[in-house]
Amino acid sequence: MHESSDEHMLERILNNNEDLAAHNREHFDAAGLLCINLMSAPGAGKTSLLERSLLDLSKHWQCSVIEGDMVGELDADRLRKLGVDVSQISTGKSCHLDAQMVARVVHSKALDKLDYLFIENVGNLVCPADFPLGEHKRVVLLSVTEGDDKPLKYPVIFHNCDVVLFTKCDLLPYVNFSVARATQYVQDLNPRAQCFAVSIVTGQGIDDWLNWLSSAYLQSQKNMPVSI
Amino acid sequence: MHEATIAKSILEIVSKQIARTPGALRALQVHVVAGQFRNVDRESLEFAFDSLKMFDQRTSGCELHLEMPSATALCKESQHAYHPCYQQAYCCPLCGSGIGKLISGEELDVVNVSLETVLHEEQKDHARVVR
Ligand SMILES: Nc1nc2c(ncn2[C@@H]2O[C@H](COP(=O)(O)OP(=O)(O)OP(=O)(O)O)[C@@H](O)[C@H]2O)c(=O)[nH]1
Ligand SMILES: [Mg+2]
Ligand SMILES: [Zn+2]
Repeated sequence: MHESSDEHMLERILNNNEDLAAHNREHFDAAGLLCINLMSAPGAGKTSLLERSLLDLSKHWQCSVIEGDMVGELDADRLRKLGVDVSQISTGKSCHLDAQMVARVVHSKALDKLDYLFIENVGNLVCPADFPLGEHKRVVLLSVTEGDDKPLKYPVIFHNCDVVLFTKCDLLPYVNFSVARATQYVQDLNPRAQCFAVSIVTGQGIDDWLNWLSSAYLQSQKNMPVSI
Repeated sequence: MHEATIAKSILEIVSKQIARTPGALRALQVHVVAGQFRNVDRESLEFAFDSLKMFDQRTSGCELHLEMPSATALCKESQHAYHPCYQQAYCCPLCGSGIGKLISGEELDVVNVSLETVLHEEQKDHARVVR
C-alpha cells in the first residue's frame, strides 16, 4: 500500500531556521536593542559603512557587531581598531549566515546594555535572502560599480528588505549607473523600501542613513514591551 | 549554494514522516513547492537532494517532485492581479505600476510524502499464500 499524507501543506522547509530566528528576536527584544542585518554582494561596502556609522553612533550608543565571513577576521579587525565590540562567525563553506550561527553568538554575549546590534552578512545577493536571523531590519547595499540592473537580477533580496543603500556614489561620474532607475526598480519590487544614495568618501547621504537608523531605533523602543 | 541546506531540510521532513507513520518502510516520493520568490535553483536542488538521499536506505529511493509556481502580485496602483516577471521589470502589464503586495510566490513547503508501508509487504505475502 502506498500511503500519502494529506494534500495540504505538510511542513515548511527551513522552518528550523525560522524558529531559531524567532528565538533570536526574543533575545533582541528582551535586551531592548535594534538588530540590523546588512547584506550585499562581496565588496559593496558593508564594513566601510559600519566603520563610518559607528564613528558617530558609538559616541552616544552601545553598539556591537557580528561579522560573518567565510574565512578570516580581516573585517572584524578593521572594526576592533575603532574600539567596537565584534563577534566573528566563520561560516566555512557556507555562503550565508543562518539563525543557528547567530544564536550561538547571542547566547554567549551580554546583550542587555546594547542599543544597536549590526550583523554583517557574508557577501552574497542570493542565499542570505532565504535565511532570516531574527533581525528587526534588513538593509541591502548595492554599489554603483555593480550596475543599476541588479534589483532585476536578484529580486528576492530587494523585495525582502527595508532599506537599500546605493553605495560608492562618489564614483557615479565614472560608471553607467542611474540612481533614479535603480530606485525605481527597487520600489517596483518593494513598495516599503527606502533608498539612499551614499558615499563614505564624500559623506553624501550618511546623515540620511544615520537619521533612518535612529528613527528605526526609536520605533523599535515604542514596539517593545515596557519594562521598569 | 543554499540548495544543499534546503535538500537536507526536505530529507529531515521525509524522515520525520517515516518515523511517525506506523509501518512505514521507505519514502517513494516527496512533493515540494518552491515559489518563484524563494531563490531555488532546480538543478542544484535536484543534485543536492539526489546526493544526500543516498545516506539513508529509507530515503535513497525517494523521488523529488519539485513544483515551482510563478508568483502572483497585486499591483500598487490598481490592485490588478498579475505574475511579476523579469521581462516586465516585475511591473503590472495592465497599468505599469509595481508590486503592491505579493500574494504568492514565497512558499517553500513539503506538501506531500508518499510512503511504502509494511502493509504493502503483508498484502504481497497474503497474495502469495492465496495463490
Ligand atoms: N570610492 C569608494 N570606495 C568605497 C566606498 N565604500 C567602500 N569602498 C571601497 O570598497 C572596497 C570594499 O569595501 P568593504 O567595506 O570592504 O566592502 P564589504 O561589503 O565589507 O566587503 P566583503 O565583506 O568582503 O563582502 C574597499 O576598498 C573600500 O575602500 C565608497 O563610498 N566610495
Ligand atoms: Mg566586509
Ligand atoms: Zn495594474
